[in-house]
Amino acid sequence: MERPHGNENWKEWIGAHGPRLLLCARQWTRSLADAEDVLQEAFVRFWRHQRELPGDPQALLLVSIRRAALDLARRNDRRQAREQRAEGGLEETVTLFGRLPGEGDERRQEIETALGRLPDEQREVLVLKIWQEFTFEQIGELLAISPNTAASRYRYALTALRAQLEPLCHG
Amino acid sequence: MDESLQELENELKRLRPRALSGSLASRLERELGPVPAPRRYTPATSLRSWKWAGWSLAGAAAVAMGFLAVSFSRSPASAPIDSVAPIAAETPRPAPAVNRYEPVRASSVLYDMKDDGVATLPDQTPGRQVRYRYVDTYTWKNPTTKASLKWSVPRDEVRLVKASLD
Repeated sequence: MERPHGNENWKEWIGAHGPRLLLCARQWTRSLADAEDVLQEAFVRFWRHQRELPGDPQALLLVSIRRAALDLARRNDRRQAREQRAEGGLEETVTLFGRLPGEGDERRQEIETALGRLPDEQREVLVLKIWQEFTFEQIGELLAISPNTAASRYRYALTALRAQLEPLCHG
Repeated sequence: MDESLQELENELKRLRPRALSGSLASRLERELGPVPAPRRYTPATSLRSWKWAGWSLAGAAAVAMGFLAVSFSRSPASAPIDSVAPIAAETPRPAPAVNRYEPVRASSVLYDMKDDGVATLPDQTPGRQVRYRYVDTYTWKNPTTKASLKWSVPRDEVRLVKASLD
């Protein structure tokens, strides 16, 4: 993994890793705007003060992003949060992914819709595993759960996605 | 994992997260400043050398501070050990337990360099004012407890550079 140590070009670094970090941030926030806010807060702090720290820089950033997201959620109006949770998952229709190469946009939309219906705890594990390419050990460490729990949630998430997407494929 | 889940996993992996928005990039640029790009300053011929001189100075200062910190932290502890040398000679002496913080790393990161524009030098000749912004970071570690302490200090340097009239 590309290290930020000694790299002065923050644009290059965030350009390479920012989209995946934003996707993860989006799992812990209620809107894309909130996700951008927490990514900005965490990245600025990281780039100014933490990028020389040992260890995986993306794991460090994700810890920071998650903490900022939790702080933001606490600051937000609790009633509003309850209402939005009752609506379930990702309430926005802003796309999370680019168009699949060589295919129409329909399949991407189906997948995004199905992702949005997953329980939060399954979706965050799925996103960290698929797009952040974390191991179950890393996911467990980040989310304070055991690697086995992370693996179970991942499997449940894939199974639930398959159940939602199959009728669309074959029906 | 069965085959259909594997296929689904592969399909998900083909999806690429959307790029960052222009507004987020602008906000980050406001916070972190433009990326230092030496080429932008190439016309001011002396600036590159000033930049590297600055780095060298910052590095030398950091190393010097590191050495000073090491010598300060070791000198009080070395005296008592010497004074109990006869006792230690009678029994096998284990490696001395070092229960104090020791500097292990010092770094100076230049994260912003801004040309503030034309300025008049003290000798009344034209020049340019250039602002360098650093974060100096010092890491201390206690080898016994493995605890570490990190100290980051922002530092601004404003330099007046003679303008090149070439």
